[in-house]
Amino acid sequence: MNKLTVSYSPHLHTNQSCAKIMWSVFASLLPAGIAAIFIFGAAALWVILLGVISALVTEGLLQYFNKKKITLSDGSAALTGLLLSYNLPANSPWWLVVIGSFFSVFIGKQIFGGLGQNIFNPALVGRVFLMTCWPKYMTNFMKPLDAGINFFKSFNYDAVTAATPLMMAKEGKAVIDISYWDLFLGKHGGCLGEVCILALLAGALFLLLKKYISWHIPIIYIATVGVFSWIFGSKGLFSGDFLFSILSGGLILGAFFMATDYVTSPLTRKGQAIFAAGCGILTVVIRLWGGYPEGVSYAILMMNAATPIIDRYTKNRIFGR
Amino acid sequence: MNIGQFLAIFISAVFVYNVILSRFLGLCSFIAISKQTKPALAMSLAVMFVTTMSSVITWFIYRFLLIPFNITYLRTIAFILVIATFVQLVEMIIKKISPPLYRFFGIYLPLITVNCAVLGVAVLNIDMFFVNGKAIEGSFYYSLFQGICVGIGYTIAMLLMSGIRERLDFCDIPKCVKDFPLAFIIASIMSMSFMGFNGFKF
Amino acid sequence: MKFDSKEFIKGLIKENPTFVLALGLCPTLAVSTALTNGLGMGIAATFVLIGSNIFISLIKNIVPDKIRIPCYIVVIATFVTITELFMKAYSPALNRALGIYVPLIVVNCIVLGRAEAYASKSSVSNSIMDALGMGLGFTLALLLISGIREILGLGTFFGYKIIKSYEPMFIFALPSGALLVIGLLMGFLNLLKNKKT
Repeated sequence: MNKLTVSYSPHLHTNQSCAKIMWSVFASLLPAGIAAIFIFGAAALWVILLGVISALVTEGLLQYFNKKKITLSDGSAALTGLLLSYNLPANSPWWLVVIGSFFSVFIGKQIFGGLGQNIFNPALVGRVFLMTCWPKYMTNFMKPLDAGINFFKSFNYDAVTAATPLMMAKEGKAVIDISYWDLFLGKHGGCLGEVCILALLAGALFLLLKKYISWHIPIIYIATVGVFSWIFGSKGLFSGDFLFSILSGGLILGAFFMATDYVTSPLTRKGQAIFAAGCGILTVVIRLWGGYPEGVSYAILMMNAATPIIDRYTKNRIFGR
Repeated sequence: MNIGQFLAIFISAVFVYNVILSRFLGLCSFIAISKQTKPALAMSLAVMFVTTMSSVITWFIYRFLLIPFNITYLRTIAFILVIATFVQLVEMIIKKISPPLYRFFGIYLPLITVNCAVLGVAVLNIDMFFVNGKAIEGSFYYSLFQGICVGIGYTIAMLLMSGIRERLDFCDIPKCVKDFPLAFIIASIMSMSFMGFNGFKF
Repeated sequence: MKFDSKEFIKGLIKENPTFVLALGLCPTLAVSTALTNGLGMGIAATFVLIGSNIFISLIKNIVPDKIRIPCYIVVIATFVTITELFMKAYSPALNRALGIYVPLIVVNCIVLGRAEAYASKSSVSNSIMDALGMGLGFTLALLLISGIREILGLGTFFGYKIIKSYEPMFIFALPSGALLVIGLLMGFLNLLKNKKT
């Protein structure tokens, strides 16, 4: 066996440490969190804090009991907790967030041996687990705060629930009353971190400029979703509203921040293209014909499972063979 | 008989009710042979071939032998005998054509006989496509197609799993979950993600 | 006839068919959604195991070596058919709950495995003890897994609700939950074993 010649991601060959990248991604996600707190009020802040803290506690405890070095400062557990909380409704009960964070870090990451060895994106493992356990709580989305209620008034606010644009589209209701602009700013029901596209794009731009992520996976993913939603529109072929499908749901969050995870996505450009196109096709298939209104998390998880096989068949040729 | 029905069978057999990840048929071979891609692929192709052929054979036996003579209660015995004979044949052919492959399978090739997936798809075909002892319209084609799809589902699960486990060789996995337990947990996550196709309607 | 209790006890823990030998996992995972299903499957499999072990141990000297496997399968299939007909007649609800997994006892690796590895080489009395032990070990494993799954996934114990305010974790009633439970259980058992040594 040529055990020495094969290596898996993350390949860190510059002087940037793993921790620096993790914390940069964490920072780039913060605008979306702040936007969520503006949109949904104190409930969102509570979910985010709980998610991050319980992820850190789980990681610390597991490493302590396994007698490993405790590596909370590398930011990976905090990032997992943050991403998980972004995938939850703002009005989630506290135990939902805690169990989800625990499951993400334990089953999603530590059981594989920790950072850099997990096959699946930990935050998505947690989200899909919660989705299968308690679909009722996971699809009960909070309506954005009414005008006139700001963050400080929102502590005693009774949450009103609202359907997401994708849920309305699935039920065949007209979604004309939501403008693209509202979709872009995030004034609609949804998971707390996915609604404000503007803030997400700002964070993504920072990561792209810093070259922490490459454009290949997100752009191909989003383009695939756009093209296929346009082709298979509800009113016949080539009539789909592609802008709506791109701006609604968790696509932007998933494409820029979760599908691009170094550890769980392919190494080569060719592999990444296959990975991203696969994510896009699966997302559209689930959105249009599946039982769930949103398919981003399922699509990325399925392609995570396929990543080793994609890598195997797209690996660069070793010279001299 | 229409395209929609075939598509529904495909999605259901490959993803939603994936033969391994949801129906748990053929789980033993799935866990045991999925350590490397090559034997996993060979095994999957063998299983796909056998499920397809046995779907066809058992359909004929049920339709033209068991129903006319009113001995449908002998279904299990009849099916397992036919499948065993057929697998024996396949085994002999592989032994002749590719001895290295034969050596690789070890005890698992004879165990295709007792691979639940093969008998499972035969029984499932009868349960789904025969109503009150009569074949429904297009029943034969549905059975054949379901046989192929179950094989595809097996192949996909096997291929993904073997790729993942090959990669895990290079990981520092906690000792107590090494091999079997982790394979089950990975299968569980895959099964969760395939749930995304739940409620598929075309 | 002399019955050896050692043959009986080994099936319970040391050579537990599910956790140690990893045999017969398909029905273990598929029907373990509720305790009653697990118990029914355990009893059915134990019956088939005893019947086929006795019969195969009796005919072991008559059957030619080359065609022994098909012969064993026919014997097992006969006992499975008897079980299936019995179940259909006396407990149709259980039969419906277990579905295709009743005929699939034929291909349960435990049954053929014991026939090939044990009954075909041992005396009738020892084969009975072996079958009883393996059957009981299988039933215990089924009860353990289905107990965990029923309590977590439905919040009930043999159909009775335990805690009122508990929100059932639906995943454990689904296939993915079954895989998760068996994976974690195996890991946990390994952990205990490693601690001991």
